[in-house]
Amino acid sequence: MKIKPKLFILVIICLLSSCKHKESGYHNLKEKIEEESKHYQDPGISSEVYIGDIETIEITEGEHTFLIPERKSQLKSYACTECHSKPLSELQQARDQQQAHWEIKIKHANSQTMNCATCHNPGDMNHLNSLAGIEIDFNQSYRLCAQCHSSQFEDWKGGAHGKNIGGWANPRAAMSCVNCHNPHEPQIASKWPVRFNTQKEMERK
Amino acid sequence: MAEKKKWFQLDLGLSKAQGSGSCGCGKDSGDCGSHSDHPDKEYRLTAEEFDAAVEKELMGETAVSQTQKDGFQQVFDVKMDRRTAFRKLTASLLVGAGAVHTSCSLTAGNETKEKAQIDWEEQFKGNYKLMTKEEKQATVDRLVRSYQLRKKKNIKMSSADASKDVLFGYAFNISKCQGYMNCVSACVEENNQDRNSQMQYIRIHEMKDGEGFKFNEADDNYYHEVPAEGHFYMGTQCFHCDNPPCVNVCPVEATWREEDGLVVIDYDWCIGCRYCMAACPYDGRRFNWSKPEVPEDEVNKNQHYLGNRMRKKGVMEKCTFCVQRSRAGKDPACVEACPTGARIFGNLLDPDSTIRWVLENKQVFRLKEDLGTEPKFWYFMD
Repeated sequence: MKIKPKLFILVIICLLSSCKHKESGYHNLKEKIEEESKHYQDPGISSEVYIGDIETIEITEGEHTFLIPERKSQLKSYACTECHSKPLSELQQARDQQQAHWEIKIKHANSQTMNCATCHNPGDMNHLNSLAGIEIDFNQSYRLCAQCHSSQFEDWKGGAHGKNIGGWANPRAAMSCVNCHNPHEPQIASKWPVRFNTQKEMERK
Repeated sequence: MAEKKKWFQLDLGLSKAQGSGSCGCGKDSGDCGSHSDHPDKEYRLTAEEFDAAVEKELMGETAVSQTQKDGFQQVFDVKMDRRTAFRKLTASLLVGAGAVHTSCSLTAGNETKEKAQIDWEEQFKGNYKLMTKEEKQATVDRLVRSYQLRKKKNIKMSSADASKDVLFGYAFNISKCQGYMNCVSACVEENNQDRNSQMQYIRIHEMKDGEGFKFNEADDNYYHEVPAEGHFYMGTQCFHCDNPPCVNVCPVEATWREEDGLVVIDYDWCIGCRYCMAACPYDGRRFNWSKPEVPEDEVNKNQHYLGNRMRKKGVMEKCTFCVQRSRAGKDPACVEACPTGARIFGNLLDPDSTIRWVLENKQVFRLKEDLGTEPKFWYFMD
C-alpha cells in the first residue's frame, strides 16, 4: 500500500515530461502555426512604399479586401465615347475614315462563344457589360472574367492565382486579370528561358 | 628569397633565436617603430608589404587552389611543407600582427591604421547569434566602413532582427511555373552571387508530365523554348525547414534558425566544413570554391549581415528568403520577378495572409515530408 503514492507521482512525472521532446513543444509545424497565430498581432511591418507609383483602388469581393491597380487612366484611348460618338453601324459604314482597333485579334474562346459584344456594350462604350447585360466599370474588369473563369477567380481572391504587388505585408495589393493577360488574347505565348548556366553544363560533361 | 620570407615576420621561436629585446607592442621581431635598429634586416617588412600580405590572407587568395579535387585528395594530393602549413594556420595571427604592426607604425597612414583596426576587431568578433543589438550594429558599421575604405563605395547594411508574430512561408504553384527562370536571374542579382562559377540558389527542374517527381531524370539546365510540350516545371531552393538538419550538424554553430523561421549563416563564423551541405536533403546549400566576384556596378548595395553581403572564399551560402527584403516587408526577389505568379510568399502566423489561404484551400504538399524536416515551402496545383 505504501508504493501507491510513489507510483502515482512517477506516472505524473512521466506524463508531464513525455511529450516535451522538442524545445518548441509542438508536434508538427501545422500545429505550431495554428497555435501561434491564435494570438496574432500585426507586427507593424508595412509594404505600402513598395507599391510605388501604381495608382490603386480598393475592392471587396466576398471576405477578401485588397488593392488592385486602377485601370482607366492606363488605357490609351479612354474615354471610348471620344471617338464612339455615333452608333457602331454608322462608324463602320464610314469607309473613308481610318480604321480603328485594327491591331486587335480576338483569340479568346471560339467565335460561337465570344465576340466583341460579349464584354463591350455597343450602347455604352465607356462601360463593359456582363453576360446578363449589367454594366461593369473598366476598373473592375475582373468581374467580367470571373463569369466564366470562376475557379481562377476564387484562387485570385485568395491569393493563389495572380501576382502580388510590392510586399507580403499589409496592405495587400494584387495585379488584376488584365495586368498579365491581354483580354483579347489571354493565352501567354511560349518564350526562351532568360538564362543558361554554361558552368553547370561544363561541370557535368 | 625575400618574397618567401614575408610570413616569417611572425617568429614563434621555432627556428633560430631572434633579438632578445621584446617590445611593448607584443612582438619580439619586426619593426614597430620603437626600436631604432634591428639585428636582422632581412626579416623587416615595410608597412605596405605587410598590409598587402594581410589583405591577401583576408581575401583568401593564398588558400588551396586545388578546386578540382574532392574529399581526401584535397588534403593528400597537396605538397605541404612546414612552411605552407604554417602559412595556412597563421591567417589570424597575421591579421593580429598586422594590426599591431600598423597601429604602432609611425609611417602608416590613418586609413591603413583604421583598416587594420577593423580587421582586428572583425577577426576576433564573436558569433553573430550571441551578439547584443549594439554588437550587431557595431560589426555592421565596421563592414560598411571596411568596404568604403577598400572599394571607395558606400553600401547599406542592415542587422534587422526577426519581428515578433512573423513566420515566413513560401508556396510554389507547379501548374503555373513555365520555366522562364526569371527567378534565378533576379536571385543572382539580388544576392550578389559569384558570377564566375555561376552559382545559383534556385534550380528549376523540367519534368515529364504524368511521371511524378523524378529528380534524377529531370533537367535543371535546359535551354529551349518553354514551356516544352509534355513537361512541367518546379523550383527548388532552401526550404527553411522548421526542424533544419543542416543546423544540427554545424560543428561551430555558424548556421541557425531565426525566430521568424529563416535559416541563416554567419559567413564570418563558417569554417567551410560543408557538413550542412551533406546534411541538407534538398540540395539547398552552396559552397564558395573560389572567391565570389561581382562586378562593382552590379553589386546590390542594399545588404543584410545574414543575407546578401559579400561572401568570402570557403564559406557556405544559400537562399535566405532575401532577408534584406523580407524583414523590411518586401517580397523576395524571386517572387517579385516571377512573371507567372507561381511564387507566393507571406507570414504564416497572419490568418488573413495569402500564404495561409493557399495552405488552407489548396492541396499542398512538401518534398520528403516523411523526414520530419518540416520545410516551410509548399507545392500546390491549380
